[in-house]
Order: sequence, then C-alpha cells, then structure tokens
Amino acid sequence: MELQWPLIVFTILVAWSAGLFASQCLVAIAGGAELSEKSGKSQMIAWVVSAVLLVAGGVAVLFHLEHWERIFNGFGNVTSGITQELVAIVVLVIVAIIYLAQMRRAENGVPGKAICVIGIVASIALVGIMAHSYLMAARPAWNSIAWVLYVLGNACVLGPCTMLLAMLAARDSGTSSARLIALVGSVLAVATAVAYAVVLQGAASSIVTIGYYSDPTMVAFPMTDVPSVFAGQSFLIWLGAVVVGTLVPLGCVLAARFKKDARSHAVLYALAVLGAVVGAVSMRVAFYTLGLGLFVF
Amino acid sequence: MTQYAILTDLSKCVGCLACSVACKVVNDVPLGSYWNKVLRVGPNPRTEGGQWPDVYMYFLTIQCQHCKEPECVKVCPTGATHKLEDGTVQVDKVKCIGCQFCVMACPYGVRYLNESERVVEKCTLCEQKIAQGELPQCVSQCGGRARWFGDVEAGIENFEGPGNNPDDRSYDGMSSYRVRLGDATGEGPDFPVKPYEDSEVHYLPDAGNKPSFMYILRGEKWQGGEN
Repeated sequence: MELQWPLIVFTILVAWSAGLFASQCLVAIAGGAELSEKSGKSQMIAWVVSAVLLVAGGVAVLFHLEHWERIFNGFGNVTSGITQELVAIVVLVIVAIIYLAQMRRAENGVPGKAICVIGIVASIALVGIMAHSYLMAARPAWNSIAWVLYVLGNACVLGPCTMLLAMLAARDSGTSSARLIALVGSVLAVATAVAYAVVLQGAASSIVTIGYYSDPTMVAFPMTDVPSVFAGQSFLIWLGAVVVGTLVPLGCVLAARFKKDARSHAVLYALAVLGAVVGAVSMRVAFYTLGLGLFVF
Repeated sequence: MTQYAILTDLSKCVGCLACSVACKVVNDVPLGSYWNKVLRVGPNPRTEGGQWPDVYMYFLTIQCQHCKEPECVKVCPTGATHKLEDGTVQVDKVKCIGCQFCVMACPYGVRYLNESERVVEKCTLCEQKIAQGELPQCVSQCGGRARWFGDVEAGIENFEGPGNNPDDRSYDGMSSYRVRLGDATGEGPDFPVKPYEDSEVHYLPDAGNKPSFMYILRGEKWQGGEN
C-alpha cells in the first residue's frame, strides 16, 4: 500500500517519546546514590523533550486524518486500535503530569518510585497498543507480534540514548545506570529488528494470489508481482532497518563505554539516535510497501 | 438474523462488465474508482504445465463481501462503518474521519478514499434499493443472469434474480418480477442455471471476517484459496 508518512512519523515519535519517558523513570528508580541535583535538571530536560515529541507525534497524525475536525464525533468504538491508542495516550499524559508535579516538589527534582513504575508501565502499554493497532489479518506482513516487539525495540534504543544526551546537557554525571539501560535497550532493538525482518520477508507466502489474471477496467495497471515486491525491500530492511537502525546504535553505545570525555559521548549517543531514527523510517517504509492485502489483485 | 448477499455464477458470467457500469451509474461512483470490479482470472492451465487448449478462464466479480464479522467495523474508531440488521456493512459518511484503517483492515481492497468527499466508501449492496424490495443494480443488470441476491440464512436456493414476467409486460411488471435460484436450477433447456455441488460454491479467502458473498464455479479449479 501507499506510504502513510503521517503514521510513519507518528509511530516513531510516540515510540521515541514513550521510550524517553520510560528511560527517565528507570534512571530515577535505578539511579540510587548517583542521583544529585543535576539529576533533577536532566529529568526536567528529558520530560520536556518527551512531551515535545509526543505533541509533535500528535500533530503529525492529524495530517493522516481527512476529517480531523470530526475527531470529537466519536471514538466510542473500543475495538478500534485508534480508540485504544487515544486512551493510552491520555493515560500517559496524566501519568506524565503527575510525574512533573512530583519532580517539582522533590528536593532533588527526582520523583518517587511508585510514579516511576507507573510511568514505565504506561509507556510500554502505549507503544504496545499503538503497534498492536496495525495487526490485521488482512495484511499478512503486518499481522505478527514481532511487529509490536520491533516498535518496543525502537523505544528501547531511542529512549535511553536520548536520556543520556539529556544527562550530558545537564552535566549530570550519574550515568552508569542509564548507560546500562542503553546497552540492554540496544541489544533488545537488534533482536527485535532481526526477528521482525525475518517475519516481514516471510509474509510473502501468506498472500493469496489467483494465478494469471487481469483487470479489464484498468488494463494499464500492472499486476502485483508479490515475490519481486518483497525481494525489492530486502536492502531497506537489512541495511536500513537492521544495520543502520540497530547495529550502528549498539556499536555507538558500546564505543561510548570506552570513552571518557563528554564530547565523544555526545557524538556517539547522537549518532545512535540518528541511526535508530533512520532505521525506524526504513522499516516503516518496507512495512507499508509490503503491507499488501491478503487477497492481492 | 438476516444476512443479505450476492451469489455469482462464474460459469455463467460472460465478463460483460454490465455490473460494474450499472453500479457506477446508480451509485455515482467517482471516475477511476469502482464499487464492483471484474477480474479476468486466467487463462490458467487445467493441468500443471498445460498449454492451450488445455486452459480455462473465468471472470471474478470483486466488491464488498458484506462479511458476517467484518474487520472494517472492528477497526473504525467512530462507528462510521457499521453493520445493519439486514447484514449489510454501511459507511455513515458524516461520522467518517478518513483515517482509512478500514481500508487497511479489508482483505479484499474494495474500500477507497473518495478524494472529493474525503471519506471512505464502498459497495452498499444498493441499500437504497434493497430496503424497498428492489434488487441491487448489479444483479438486476447482469447480462448473463449470473448474479443472484438474497438472505444467506434463508438458503441460497431462495436467492432471487430478475426474470421475464409472462403475465405483465409493463416496466413495473417486468422490473418487479423475480426468479428463485432453486426454481431456475436444473438440467435441460428450461433451466437457465445448471446444477452445482456444494463443493463448487466458493468464497473469497477468509481472514476471520467470514465473507458472505458466494461464487459458483463448476468443473474448474477455483483460484485463490479455499475456506
């Protein structure tokens, strides 16, 4: 199907935003003795960036709606993925506002552990629900839990690396827990990207074709050659989404462990984020291109 | 519960496209879009590697299958796409926000975005006609009398098609006349529909949505998977 750029941007920004919010929650929990007044500043930077990403994602998705002015008409159908997404976003916004209030009230600017745990759960739920809304039996390439895990993998690498950049910006030196979270997140991103890449390429066999056929009403339209459509996306999936999108960030996170200076860290984590974004775009382009209907003609 | 549907006898369809044209005329379907399309399937070999004349071909009409458990209804956030009591799936254009998730969720690619109205539309099974006892336009205009309309729950032998009214040759008399599929089926020249086996009644691939439309194809291999 055609590339849906507003949805591509929306799903990346929401995964990024939720991943960053979950990362700051994790750092707040795992920081322990490392937490200082600087932590409060890095927490605030991360919170603001996460909020900006979420708002930008929300604006992007409006461009997908042909009649966005009607969104207040309904959203009452709970079986709809869009309705579920909206509920999950509202829940995360409420949690994030409580988190902000606790940040403001805490002496060191770091909120209590309870709201952090709730924040992590709400973030995972939002990304999972958002990705789940694309699981449709009508589109074999989409209809896999591996897609949900892949989008969660996006959040696992984008969030911690951005959190580390926020900590660098705040000159917050207590980064050991954040670096460990980034390393684990990057490994998860590689595993989930490889898993979905395999599933995506294997979906071609699930598409029903009807042998030789033509459409007499649209004779100039070429018939869909399913194997060649899938083969044409291999480069984007493996080089773009897997290598650039996950192996480059993992390499950057690993390399940062051997560097001491903040400048190198900033460059490496920025490179990791950039690679992850490029990879996320690449996979989504392949996702839509290979999102052929079950019954193709 | 009523579940209206169309049965298409592919062994009778001649691929005249009258159904597509009639549909566009009566429903004002935009240029380049179709509520009802006709695919020419084949020629496919009857046996592996077979060459002409060992080949066969049929015409397959594709439109909204007015599924029993439609995925498009499940994914619609506003309830714009909904199922009526007669089993048909309809779009309330005033509620549609144009998110197109129904287009994505449909296994058959029969929904599209109306660019001028910026809402999704598709075959309504001529709700404006069937609600007052008429046949869908694609059924009443079928050149080969290959299309039959009726309630699946009442059995396909009770599906109806247009007929030749021997007692009333007026427009109203002819247009309101009906022939039951069960009465029209049999051997010999008096029966326009030849007998068929249950195994010769096919559906489009089912992704859990349970399509209600049926296709009869006698003596040839149905292309495109079985339920």
